Amino acid sequence: MRLYEFEGSDLFRREGIPVPEYEIAASPREARRKAEAIGLPVVVKAQVLTGGRGLAGGVQAAGSPDQAEEIARRILGSSIKDMTVSRVMVAKKVEIAREFYLGVTIDGYHGTPLVIFSTAGGVSIEETARTHPELVISRPVPITDGLRRSEAEQMVREAGLGGEESPAIAGVLDALYRVFRKYDALVAEINPLVRTAQGTYLALDAKVEIDDASRYRHPDIEVSPEERIANPLERKGSQIGVSYVDLDGEIGIIASGAGLGMATMDIIGRKFRPANFLETGGAITADLLYQVMALVLQKKGLKAVFINLYGGINPIHEGARGIVRYLKEHPASIPIMANPRGNRQEETWQILEEGGVRVVTGVATEKAVEQLVNLLEEAR
Amino acid sequence: MSILLDRETRVLVQGITGRVGRAQTRWMLEYGTNIVAGVTPGKGGEEVEGIPVYGSVAEAVTERRAEASVFFVPPAAVKDAARETIKAGIGLIVIVTEHVPVHDVMEIRAFVGDRGVRLLGPTCPGIITPGQAKMGIMPGNMFRPGRIGVISRSGTLSYEICADLAEAGLGQSTAVGMGADPVVFTGMPELMALFEEDPDTDLVVLVGEVGGTQEENAARFIARRMTKPVVAYIAGHNAPEGKRMGHAGAIVQGNMGTAQSKTAALGQAGADVAQYPLEVVKLVQKRLASR
Repeated sequence: MRLYEFEGSDLFRREGIPVPEYEIAASPREARRKAEAIGLPVVVKAQVLTGGRGLAGGVQAAGSPDQAEEIARRILGSSIKDMTVSRVMVAKKVEIAREFYLGVTIDGYHGTPLVIFSTAGGVSIEETARTHPELVISRPVPITDGLRRSEAEQMVREAGLGGEESPAIAGVLDALYRVFRKYDALVAEINPLVRTAQGTYLALDAKVEIDDASRYRHPDIEVSPEERIANPLERKGSQIGVSYVDLDGEIGIIASGAGLGMATMDIIGRKFRPANFLETGGAITADLLYQVMALVLQKKGLKAVFINLYGGINPIHEGARGIVRYLKEHPASIPIMANPRGNRQEETWQILEEGGVRVVTGVATEKAVEQLVNLLEEAR
Repeated sequence: MSILLDRETRVLVQGITGRVGRAQTRWMLEYGTNIVAGVTPGKGGEEVEGIPVYGSVAEAVTERRAEASVFFVPPAAVKDAARETIKAGIGLIVIVTEHVPVHDVMEIRAFVGDRGVRLLGPTCPGIITPGQAKMGIMPGNMFRPGRIGVISRSGTLSYEICADLAEAGLGQSTAVGMGADPVVFTGMPELMALFEEDPDTDLVVLVGEVGGTQEENAARFIARRMTKPVVAYIAGHNAPEGKRMGHAGAIVQGNMGTAQSKTAALGQAGADVAQYPLEVVKLVQKRLASR
């Protein structure tokens, strides 16, 4: 779950990372009041869960209360990469002498935290890694030891910085690592950390993504994961506990596993376009598949729904009952085809067939999809 | 022969008294798995499907000489259970549990260090040596004994591909689900090394998906070390950028981790890479015929 900049900045402040004075505003009037309270000039920043908002006009400086109100009016309610801006951050503008990049992420392959520092701040670290790899200093950190202060200082010195700079920046790196560990982050990033004209250091942005699996042990982070999903169908999927990705196509997909769902998309994509990706996870019940049917069939312009299920951990015969109950209450005008295999497959076939689902028995997904394609081509 | 698991392996089931643990214990027993004990803290003395339940792993090891363990333990309990199991001297641990915090996975990996314990998962279907035993949740009727080694990030997709292979008469020596989280315990290269050394495996099938760098590391391993042929399929050719495709680790970020780039990396390393699951069968047949 990605946090908004202001939520990340709150965590930074709690852990001792210096940030400029800021407030949150949800209306132009409020932005004006907050700008006056903080003291001008300020920067008005759109709060959206995506990068590249600066280029989209979502970050602008204001020298007067009128200007702050005017900028907030333009940004609030606008859309940046399909996300509607409902809040702005009003932050004290600082004079920047130099920018740096600081990040902690996970080296998935080696299974350790990875600390990254670069003197190329304010641009994407992926871009720097491509164009100037020598400017990216990174270190895997043994998770049981944590980041040693001496190691952090050495990274900063390796980047060519000396004097007072290395202990100051190392201190921020140390605090950022603390944020990463304490809040179960997948990513904690400051881009940029700036040295101001006065010689102080401030984090001018906060990108923090929290591991969804760890939310049970962070009751102090009071945010709802659903409210930050922009797409209404994807939000509904998250609410009922399945993974739904909205796509631009005409065949609805329900799969009982992620890999199977992606493979089903690959196969359907040869002749048609998938309307969605949907993976049920390993906790199928009749109610869950009832809700899943309602969700997938909400999408406009569907030509068919293809249901691909494996009985491994999942009781697919239970799921079949939910599918049939949904179709009995809401008869479908398009073909619903299912290809259930694995434990209790015979029982599942029977329940679905009696409920009006076209059941393909005991064949590979390709063969089942061929039958669906034939059916749809005949109907043309 | 096989890798990691056979009909003699003395298996422990952790979380055996839970709903999923009970149901899966029955399937595993029916398949022929040599389950010798179960563990649920506080439930020592009970029985599940005729299997004695102990309150601790140490007891199960002492009393029943358990040597491998499969976890149906809740996510929040996995870290402590894993440490207990490693300390008790179990050599193989399969973690089926989904939604284990990634920081816990990193801590367990650090705890394993060089103790020589093999862990698989989390979020994995487990291991099956067809015709002998299975530790995990895969439906046994999709597999058959044979000489193909299978390594998969996805559970359900490994069932699909093994069923396709079985249908064509191509059975499996062992099929291993490695899990699909951002951090897993055992990666593709280490599992390939086991199959490379297994005298009863002729060819390895890799089933990958978008996200992470497992397949890229597998490609390097193939180029340097594999003498046996490798056939692969990567799921998610039309996965959109920036969306998690069900698995926490299945995400294309920028132009990183796409099915296309993984397919290219494996192809350059000398593997035959299918575009669709059923094509795996054809490529396996071709490779075996040309030996």
